[in-house]
Amino acid sequence: MNSIMGKILTVDLEKGLIRTRVTPAEWIELYTGQKGLATRLLMEDLNPAADPLSGENRLILAASIMAGTIVSCSAKLAIAAKSPQTGTISDGSVGGHIGAELKYAGYDGVTITGRAKDLQYLYIDPDRAELRDAEELKGLGAFASETRIKQMIGDDQVKILTIGPAGENLVRFACICSEHYRQLGRGGLGAVMGSKNLKAIVIRGWLDVRVADIGKCMAAAAEAHAHDDILDPENDNYVYGTPVLVDMAQESGLLPTRNFQSGRFEGSEKINGESLKALRKNKKACFSCGIACGNYVQADGSKVEGPEFETIALCGSNIGNGDPKQLIELNALCDDLGLDTISAGGVLACMMEMTETGVHDFGIRFGDTAKAMELVKDIAHLRGVGKEAALGALALADKYGAPKLAMQIKGMELPGYDPRGSWGMGLAYATAPRGGCHMTTYPVAEEAWGDLDPFTFEGKAELISKGQNAQFAKFSMGICDFWPIESKTLGKLFEATYGGSWPAEKVELTGERIFNLQRMFNVMAGFSGADDRLPVRFHQEALPEGPPKGIEMTEQAFSAALKEYYSLRGWDEQGRPTLETLNRLGIEKELIERYRKSLR
Amino acid sequence: MPLRLKLADCTGCQLCQLACSAVHEGAFNPEKARLKIIHEYTEEGIHIASKHCIFCKKCEEACPVGAISNNGRWMIVDHQVCIGCGDCVRACPKDVIYLNQNRKSIICDLCGGSPKCVEWCPKSVITLKEKAS
Repeated sequence: MNSIMGKILTVDLEKGLIRTRVTPAEWIELYTGQKGLATRLLMEDLNPAADPLSGENRLILAASIMAGTIVSCSAKLAIAAKSPQTGTISDGSVGGHIGAELKYAGYDGVTITGRAKDLQYLYIDPDRAELRDAEELKGLGAFASETRIKQMIGDDQVKILTIGPAGENLVRFACICSEHYRQLGRGGLGAVMGSKNLKAIVIRGWLDVRVADIGKCMAAAAEAHAHDDILDPENDNYVYGTPVLVDMAQESGLLPTRNFQSGRFEGSEKINGESLKALRKNKKACFSCGIACGNYVQADGSKVEGPEFETIALCGSNIGNGDPKQLIELNALCDDLGLDTISAGGVLACMMEMTETGVHDFGIRFGDTAKAMELVKDIAHLRGVGKEAALGALALADKYGAPKLAMQIKGMELPGYDPRGSWGMGLAYATAPRGGCHMTTYPVAEEAWGDLDPFTFEGKAELISKGQNAQFAKFSMGICDFWPIESKTLGKLFEATYGGSWPAEKVELTGERIFNLQRMFNVMAGFSGADDRLPVRFHQEALPEGPPKGIEMTEQAFSAALKEYYSLRGWDEQGRPTLETLNRLGIEKELIERYRKSLR
Repeated sequence: MPLRLKLADCTGCQLCQLACSAVHEGAFNPEKARLKIIHEYTEEGIHIASKHCIFCKKCEEACPVGAISNNGRWMIVDHQVCIGCGDCVRACPKDVIYLNQNRKSIICDLCGGSPKCVEWCPKSVITLKEKAS
């Protein structure tokens, strides 16, 4: 009666064995659900040195504690694995219905190990969990794959996670797709599914999610929704969705343009919130979400839910594409092929700059969006130059002797905020466990669009570390990024669903614990402070336009901020959490012991 | 006095179904709601539909034991009388009646006049029609 289903499904693809285990109550207390539970499950017995594309890697699914309840924005499902793109731990979340559906099917999480002998899919409902033949889905795009699976099962209400050809072909930035237009984009987790010969995970549920006092739970949810105005019809996330950020990023001069050579794009008004709103046919919410940030758009023959801001930035301005219709087409194409639009845009831009600067002629220049569409198909199918590009921007640029043209961190291409326009974001990018990621905290709001000075590192180490702790708690306890919820409100919702006492300090300590747990994984996988670096372009070249124009973000200033950050986190100078810190956070002794041994 | 749904504004969040199952069944379970929202993508585009009681009273006509009646505003099922035959389920043109685990007919009762689905819909998609149709 605490909104937990009490079971985790464990699947061994090698042996074809499926079992269930009890959800460890002490893990929920320490790490809650979703991101935290996924991280803890991954840490359980994965060798951090494992080859991410071997059967040894595991794919973890974890629903949030609040998923399936009436709390808004709570249905996102976390998926984690060791990333084939970065070699770090990598977890992301996917919206839609699937997180709640897993709970209704009776499970808090799923762990998948091994590699199936031939292409299979995993079917889960309250009565059965089984591996089924998926050979006929081989090579299918994500859209057709979902359609075919529903036909095969004879149930159009199943919720599906699937990969496209990019995942099957182990493209390092292959994503996992759900309900056509919802993606778990980052870290190449689609390639992990592909390496396991797992085409899809299909879930259907009809069980109850129960809480101790449902009346109290509904009252707490209603109060929190009202407190934060998340149902407000004027909420920008509803009126425009994420494209509202285009004009703001342009104004602040941090909209990635032509492989981060500029922060302003001359065609931005053609791909901004207003322009895309004109092509919108419907609004769309994830399950239980009162905001509904999703935009279903149609243009000529193409349709997509999106494009989201990150896609607009990376597959729009960053590749010199100011055509909304081509943007929609490229977005839909990537979704169907199963490619992360952020990394795809980063790789394309890198190739365009290499071509334009004479490093290597890939036959594609900024603004060649029609060619970009052919190229992403070649990447997904490993054809021609696409085969090299499928390894990501860093590997590609490295091969041609121009690694500085790969705009990435730890091998993951950067999202839609140029850190020279929001220095705190640079620190957040560098310290994000999964590489170039904008999801650990969002200082852009305070720096570029708020009262803080964006062009200094003063006070940013504290801003970022605290922000990351709060964000890790928020995701783990079950709330989507789009609800700017305070830890106090989050704690109250958690009390009303899970139970116990969750004051703000406990909430944030939980987030700090989970953040450190991910850092432990990375240290054990061989990462150190030397990997917490920004691409040198950000230090060597100032932006040419807008508020950041001409302002240098020196490497020395960045390094000093990083040092301060490590110190605030209780990490040593090489960015490793000290044993004292891990003990203070209450991380389990056995994990600390494994970590300690790995330091030798 | 049936519900009116302006589906063009529906976002598919299903908070209505969660509120419904919570109030009537004491659990969060959209499968047990007395209305259903279908809001999904197909390869052709977006498919939006609803299943909800339109107060047509066909269930009442179909019930062989007189367990179903109405008060002029909503349907009333007497579970003491209901024999769980499922005739109402088959008679419902909206496919929205189901038998619960005790094989008793579950039909929307508008929460006794102030429906929780209306209260919880974040986009004011669901309203009550004032006059019976």
